[in-house]
Amino acid sequence: MQADGKPRVLPLRPASQVMRLERLGSFHQSRLSFMRTLVRRMVIENWQITSPVFDLDDQGYGTVVYQVEARFGIFSYVLFSHYLDPDSRNDRVIANQWDLTMALCEGTVDADQLAFLRTNVPKQEAGRVDSRVLVLSRANRSGRTFEYVVDELAEGRQPCIDVIAEVGYLYRTTAAYGSGKLGMADWEKVRTKHPDFARPFAAEMFTCFMLRHFSMQQADYLAAQRAPEKAVILDEDIKRYIGIGNSTGLGMAPFLINHPMLINQWIEMRETALARVILASESGVDESIFVRLAASVQRVIQHLGEIVTADERQSSSNILVRQDLVLLHQWLQDETAALVRENYDWANLVEYAERSFHLETQEVINTLLIELYPELVDDLEEHMGVDESIRVMPEMSVAQLLQIIEDKYDWALAIDFSQYESMGAFWYRSQEKMEPRLGQTNIDMGMEKEMPMAVGRRVRECYDQVSAYNLTCPQQNVAHFIMRNPNYSGIVGRVQTMAQRCYGDIRENLVHSDVLPIHLLRCKLSFFGVSKFDPRSRLWVRNTMFQGAPLISDFGKPFADEWQFPIKPVLTSG
Amino acid sequence: MKVSKNELMASLKKAFEGLGFHPGDYYDAADMVVWLETHGLDGFDRLQAALAYLNTTGPTHAELIEEDTSYSVLDGNDSSILLCGSEAIDLLSAQIMEGSAAGLQLNNCYNRTFILQRLVKAAQRDLAFIAYWRQDACCIKVSIAAGADLPEHQTFSLAEVIDPQSLTVFAGTDLVVVEQQFSEQIAIGELIETYSSAEMSICYQDSVEQGIEIDEVLWSTLEGLVERILVESTESSRAGAGD
Repeated sequence: MQADGKPRVLPLRPASQVMRLERLGSFHQSRLSFMRTLVRRMVIENWQITSPVFDLDDQGYGTVVYQVEARFGIFSYVLFSHYLDPDSRNDRVIANQWDLTMALCEGTVDADQLAFLRTNVPKQEAGRVDSRVLVLSRANRSGRTFEYVVDELAEGRQPCIDVIAEVGYLYRTTAAYGSGKLGMADWEKVRTKHPDFARPFAAEMFTCFMLRHFSMQQADYLAAQRAPEKAVILDEDIKRYIGIGNSTGLGMAPFLINHPMLINQWIEMRETALARVILASESGVDESIFVRLAASVQRVIQHLGEIVTADERQSSSNILVRQDLVLLHQWLQDETAALVRENYDWANLVEYAERSFHLETQEVINTLLIELYPELVDDLEEHMGVDESIRVMPEMSVAQLLQIIEDKYDWALAIDFSQYESMGAFWYRSQEKMEPRLGQTNIDMGMEKEMPMAVGRRVRECYDQVSAYNLTCPQQNVAHFIMRNPNYSGIVGRVQTMAQRCYGDIRENLVHSDVLPIHLLRCKLSFFGVSKFDPRSRLWVRNTMFQGAPLISDFGKPFADEWQFPIKPVLTSG
Repeated sequence: MKVSKNELMASLKKAFEGLGFHPGDYYDAADMVVWLETHGLDGFDRLQAALAYLNTTGPTHAELIEEDTSYSVLDGNDSSILLCGSEAIDLLSAQIMEGSAAGLQLNNCYNRTFILQRLVKAAQRDLAFIAYWRQDACCIKVSIAAGADLPEHQTFSLAEVIDPQSLTVFAGTDLVVVEQQFSEQIAIGELIETYSSAEMSICYQDSVEQGIEIDEVLWSTLEGLVERILVESTESSRAGAGD
């Protein structure tokens, strides 16, 4: 409460600032990211993971079943390891063979179910599973690291950390399907029946975590098979530094447009975390927190310096962010004592960053500030899900609807859709596994089958139609407008629903010729909790998951939860 | 074969899009089918009947024919409730919010059982509804209290001549008052069968737990409709996926 007795208002950033595509594409993982919350839960609750079936041949092919005893239930992680011709290894969604295929199932798995899974899981989209399965996934080996690591271990040596650093993983996952796809359990079932995975994407993230565990276990196993007398097992510090690779393409992009309520919730929780932190610092910040921030900044500088990417834009951005952070670090080192004396608060730092630093640096700083105050932030992890219903409010007057569009969708009305570039691209689904693709207007086929990704254009069309209707029927309500213009019911419902939320709609023309879909992917991936973004084009990005995270052997032990922005370990052994 | 609710929703949305439905319409239509099937009211059978019609015409909506402060008459233009159900219930809901009770008659419409999902959704805004229509030699009455999650579905004998393709809906903020309004205007016959909200709930829970059984032919029909919204893959189009 303030001195005047009024409740304190959280200083949330406005949507006009947060929901710009480039800013969303500058987000980094935070304490609220799904991998972070999952790891906290597993470590603190000390999940027990055993492998009752570990049936691999000397080439590492076969079947493994891990049994997972979580806090509320038992689950089985079933993995099939297959021979894959290197020429058939393809990370795209259109691939149909993989090195590994996996399923996360509820309960234990008997012989019949295992046989059923063995028939269907390796087929992925071409197979069918049932509602006992929560997640279906697959992965490919890294051509650069897997064999190298096995060879080194078989020779009795630890792999060179620089080689690991350059890649970051032994396997890449190329998909993790949940939410009822291919006959699996609905999200509603997972959410209501399995509290262990009742947060968005928790089961999918767990599947990737277990893949990471298997990748290292398999490397140890193969090395031992090849050289039983000589082989060593991977050093635990190296293991923690090994993540899982991920390739994400356009398939993820429509999710952000089709789930505006969920996106709103995720961003609102992240912004609430930042606002709480800023508010809590109003009366000043302890020296120890400044010291922790300086250490975090130093860590990010090193982390960014260790990222290898051929993407010019990302590489330049990493350099600029490092330059900004070096200045920040120096400033913290020089000024901490004075800052403590002057009751410096984080609102000042955020404002300074907005004036002086690059966009991505600003978001790195925001992430680091959130990191400093787990006690103010971590409860928000329970509020990342939401009822996603979009509702038409038929009683609203058309005049009020116009007002809402002018107030909340001014960004859409500001776009000049008469310019060719403003409609220079379109999104569609390909016949190849319904893969979402981006086409060029008047060049590529399929414009007539465009996906409704152009929210800004639909709002503009709706606004024009409502305006015309309002001239002839000024006293009417939305119900009457929709009776006369039924094709607009979808966008009217979206506008009315989202107008009651802080965030949700991305304030950008997603069909502009120069649109950068990679920002959409990166935004969602930041909420997943990935790191080391390595764009391969403007349409897909490689990244690492769980790099730096604890191992299963760390579960139940004291845990600092500081594995974000992973850096090369300093090895103490051999 | 069994499918999940999410999977069915995704497939239906795309299938309705393939039939020319617009965003908004295809979300609502998919919701209606899934709701009916998961609550034990033969959503798939009714969908098959609707597809036979929807596949031969473009999407047709209802028109407002007459309206005063408390009663509206709409012409469904021989369309399906999958297309005209939402706008009809929205119109009625708006009327109640401006007054205390209202009624609506939607003529020349088909697949009227699908209206249940729209009533359930509208009831979440603290509105109560009774819908009534003729089904072959019987009459169906569906009632839902303000704020309730599930309705009651009753079958009666026919007591008076009713247009075979019309749907009548009464609405208000209190189901008791709506019931009174209904009984003053509609003569119903003997109660033949009640399908209770408790039975619907059991059916729904089973759908969530076990998945939803769907005939492979219907699933294949839906996949065929989904094909209509897909674009042929070419070398050039693969470039638009990041190749």
